[in-house]
Amino acid sequence: MNERKLKFYGEPPLRADEGRFPGRLIVFEGPDGSGRSTHIRLTKEWLEDHGYGVADTGLTRSELAGRGIERAKTGHNLDPLTLNLFYATDFADRLERTIIPALRAGLIVLADRYMYSLIARASVRGVSPEWMQDVYGFAAIPDRVIYLDVDVDHLLSRILATAGGFDYWESGQDFLRGQDQHTTYVDYQNEMIAEFRSLAAIHDFVMIDANGPISATFSAILEVIRDEVRQMADEDLDPPV
Amino acid sequence: MNSSNSDREAPPGKLFVVEGIDGSGKSTQIDLLHKWLVSQGYLVVFTEWNSSPIVRRTTRRGKRRRLLTPLSFSLIHACDFANRVNDQILPALRAGAVVLADRYVYTAYARDGARGMSSRWLRRLYSFAPEPTMAFYFDVPLDEAIRRIEAGRDAVKYYEAGMDLELSDNPFESFRIFQGMIKDQYDSMVDDFGLYRIDATESLVLQQRKMRQVVEPLLSGVTKADDGELAAALSEFDLSGRYMPELFGR
Repeated sequence: MNERKLKFYGEPPLRADEGRFPGRLIVFEGPDGSGRSTHIRLTKEWLEDHGYGVADTGLTRSELAGRGIERAKTGHNLDPLTLNLFYATDFADRLERTIIPALRAGLIVLADRYMYSLIARASVRGVSPEWMQDVYGFAAIPDRVIYLDVDVDHLLSRILATAGGFDYWESGQDFLRGQDQHTTYVDYQNEMIAEFRSLAAIHDFVMIDANGPISATFSAILEVIRDEVRQMADEDLDPPV
Repeated sequence: MNSSNSDREAPPGKLFVVEGIDGSGKSTQIDLLHKWLVSQGYLVVFTEWNSSPIVRRTTRRGKRRRLLTPLSFSLIHACDFANRVNDQILPALRAGAVVLADRYVYTAYARDGARGMSSRWLRRLYSFAPEPTMAFYFDVPLDEAIRRIEAGRDAVKYYEAGMDLELSDNPFESFRIFQGMIKDQYDSMVDDFGLYRIDATESLVLQQRKMRQVVEPLLSGVTKADDGELAAALSEFDLSGRYMPELFGR
C-alpha cells in the first residue's frame, strides 16, 4: 500500500494531513467559456469507464456557504474583500468535508476552479495577491493543475453563442466603469488571463491550448490524466511497508 | 495587508473596542459609554461581532447544522468582520465619527487560537482591520464569569461551549473549560496589543468612570452632531424643544 502524503501551501487545517492519501486532486482552471465544465464531464466519464472513482467539486458548491454567496451576489453591492472571504469559507468547507475525505478514500477529485481563480479575481480588484496566498495557506497542493488556455477572441464567440451574453461578474462590471459591456468584458478577461499566466509560472500549471476543437483539447488533457493514473497503478503494486 | 486599506492615511474618527470572555460585563460597559457619548453630542456608530446582514445567515446555518470546523469558523467570522469594516466601520471613521465595537479582532484571535488555529495566520488574515484608538479588556476571574452566565441561562450553545473540541460531554463543563482556554489567550494578548485592562470585578460605576477617563482625552478632532441651528431656532421662538427626541434628556 502506498504512503502518499498530502502537501499544503502553508499550515494545513487541523489534522487534515494525517493518514494516507491514495487519491488524486486534479484542478481545471481557465476563464469562463474555456470549456472547463465540458472537459471535466468528459474526463469523469473516461475515468469511470476505466474503473476509477471520481468526486467532483467546484466554486460555491459547499453546503456551508454556497447559497450565501449566491444570495450575496444577487442582492447586494459587495466589497471585494467580503466576497473573497466568503469564497474562502466555501473553499475551506469543500476542502475539509469533500476533497480531503475523497483523497483519503482513493478517489480522483476533479475540481472546477481552485484558489487560483479566486486569487486572480481578487488581484484584478485591488486585493493583494500575497495576502490571498497567505490566507489560502490551508489549501492542499493539487497533483495537477490543468489550465485551458484560450484567447479572448475565442472566448467572446463562445460566450455569445452559448451563454447568450455577458455575465455581470465575468465582465468585471462590479468595478470597471463607464464603458459598454463588450469593452469591459474584453478588458476584464485580458487582465484575468495575465493574472493566470503569472500564477501558471508560480504553481506549475499544465498549459493546454483550448482554442481548437473539443477533441483536440480533450486528447491533450487525456495525456495528463493517463500519466497520473499510471502512477496510481504503480503505487498499488508497491509492496506494503 | 489589503492594499485598498493600508495606503490611506489614518481617518479622523476614533475606534473604541471592548473585549473579554462571556460574562465579563463588557457589553454593559460599552452601552453606558455609548449613551454618554451621544449625550455629549458625539456622532456614534455601534457595531457588534457577527452581525453583518450579508454574512450572518451563513454563520447561523453553519452553527445550526454543525458544519463549522475551526478553519471555516474562523473564515466566516473574518468574512462577517470584513463586511462590517467596509460598510460600517471605515465609512464612519472617515466621516469623523466615534465607532464603538463590541468585540473586535482580539475575539477571533482568542477563540480561534483556543480552537488551535495558528496565531500568525490569524493575524495575517485580519491584517485589513483598522487599528483601534483604544481596546479595553474586561478581566474577570473564570469562576465569576461562569457564575454570571449560569445565573441567567439554562443552556449554552454548541459552538459557544466549544463542544466541537470534544472537551467534555457536559455542555456547561465544556463551556467552563473552553472559556478558560479563551481567557488564557486574552491574558497573553494584553501586553502584545496594549489592551487597556479593566478589573471587571469592580463596581459598574467605577469601571465606567475609568473608561470615560481614558476615552475623553482621545476625542479631539471628532465630529459632534451639529444642533446649533436648531438651538438657535428654539431660543428665537422661545420653545423648549420637548418634541425633539435628539435634544430631550440631554
